[in-house]
Amino acid sequence: MNSLEKQKKRFIVCSLVVPMVLLIGFVVFPAFDLIRMSFTNWDGYSKTYDHIGFNNYTAMFRNRDLWLSLRNNGVYFFAHLIFIPIELMFAVLLTSRLRASKFYKTMVFMPYIINGVAISYAFSYFFSPINGAFDEILTVFHLESLIRNWLSDPKIVNFVLAFVSLWRFSGYHVILFMAALQSLPQDVQEAARVDGANAWQMFKYIQIPSIMLMVDFVLFDNIRGALQVFDIPYVMTSGGPGYASSTFTLYTIDTAFKYSNFGLASTMAVAIMVMIVVIYLVQNKIIHGILKGGRK
Amino acid sequence: MKRRTMEQGLKQIICIGMVLIVLAPILLTLFAAFKTKADMVNTSPLLLPPMERITLSNFQKVIGDKYLLIGFKNTGIILAVSILFNVLFGTITAFILERFEFKLKKVIMSLFFLGMLIPSFVTEIARFKIINGIGLYNTLGAPIVIYVASDLMQLYIYRQFISTLPVSLDESALLDGCSYFGLFTRIIFPLLAPATATVVIIKAITIINDMYIPYLYMPKNKLRTLTTFLMNYANAQQGSWQKLAAGIIIIMLPTILIYIFFQKYILAGIAAGAVKE
Repeated sequence: MNSLEKQKKRFIVCSLVVPMVLLIGFVVFPAFDLIRMSFTNWDGYSKTYDHIGFNNYTAMFRNRDLWLSLRNNGVYFFAHLIFIPIELMFAVLLTSRLRASKFYKTMVFMPYIINGVAISYAFSYFFSPINGAFDEILTVFHLESLIRNWLSDPKIVNFVLAFVSLWRFSGYHVILFMAALQSLPQDVQEAARVDGANAWQMFKYIQIPSIMLMVDFVLFDNIRGALQVFDIPYVMTSGGPGYASSTFTLYTIDTAFKYSNFGLASTMAVAIMVMIVVIYLVQNKIIHGILKGGRK
Repeated sequence: MKRRTMEQGLKQIICIGMVLIVLAPILLTLFAAFKTKADMVNTSPLLLPPMERITLSNFQKVIGDKYLLIGFKNTGIILAVSILFNVLFGTITAFILERFEFKLKKVIMSLFFLGMLIPSFVTEIARFKIINGIGLYNTLGAPIVIYVASDLMQLYIYRQFISTLPVSLDESALLDGCSYFGLFTRIIFPLLAPATATVVIIKAITIINDMYIPYLYMPKNKLRTLTTFLMNYANAQQGSWQKLAAGIIIIMLPTILIYIFFQKYILAGIAAGAVKE
């Protein structure tokens, strides 16, 4: 028995050593390194740098363009938030009796797996001011007066980009809601029915609680996703005109790799990490709240 | 009966509307890819050009670009190596975390959890220095090591799958004199094949579509991937939408094909990952 214990120990150590080294070296250590770097003025290539205390933090809070960028993240968040009921409706629709539902399910998820860079270029063409398809659609319906510079008007560019984000990610949520609807165990539903539960009771006590958990997941996935929007604005507008369509992540990345201010960029990265952790903690509290409420 | 048909009709109309919105940007790009420069101006962007004027020259130009082939090759190498290690480390880590109790288990679990929580884009600011320091900058090793180390979704899928395998399986194999290593390689790993199929396909799509890591770590021309090839191609075709359109379509194709053929595995894994969280 003792040798078996020994063998087990050796097996665990040998198997985990490489994954752990990779995880610590390339994920955990960099995260902590960001915190250290956030107190310096490192430029990304010099051998030396100074410790400048909380200067980066005060600079970050005073940076108007960064706040503007964060507000733009809010546009993505609200767009996806408003879409949750629509996504739920599609999930119910696609799990109901429906001819060709399999084909529709394939279609609804397809945007999610399409190359993000390629589709961003495709949408740049779609919204292009010269021979763009969207302007042409408006013209066909005699709505020429609505034509705008979709990607260079600071007032609307974020909504256009948020639309692209909706196009790409809504299908993912529909699939998640469908999975939640379908994961209701048939025997539980059957038992409830045998026990005399009516349709409303089934909906309230069996379907709603299980969907709520997924709604909660999608809601927080939205917050995390909105906070980290990067490639759609990066490819379609580079955050422009000016910083009109920049996002927090885009601004952070530019600060580091375009303007070589790694110290300040690290501070912003720390801010994103803090936001994500806080959001996670809040979410956990809420899930617990719902579960406790459901059990009463 | 009549209400039923009305209801079905309404449902169909809503769904067809959804399909149109999904397909519109793709189809309109495809139309543009078949047009000559003159037809980009002369014909409606909503329509194909007249049959006799359809041109394949835009596609020929993309396919003739030597960097497209290089992009395919690099993406293929990164895919194969990253996924191999993802599966290897993913299965064994999930197996150990799911089946064994040991001293540092809690610490290790929380490290992996932390790894999943940390936002990936901004971490590159600190990771860049490390990749540079170990000499992986501008090599295929950079994306490979990052994908293997930081993309951890496979742990969810594998742990969930392993929890459905009976523990008695392990016990009887060990009683029969199988070593722990043998138990893993000969019994557990083969049983994980369906989960592995899901992991391989989802990872393949994620890696093919990833723009940021190859863009940041491999600016060298020879190290273009499919996605960074398209970015370079787009910069070179400034203003000729018809040429760029052909490039967009070709770069979209691999993941669309993977999706159409392996849809079942993808949808299974997507739902599993979320439900577990």
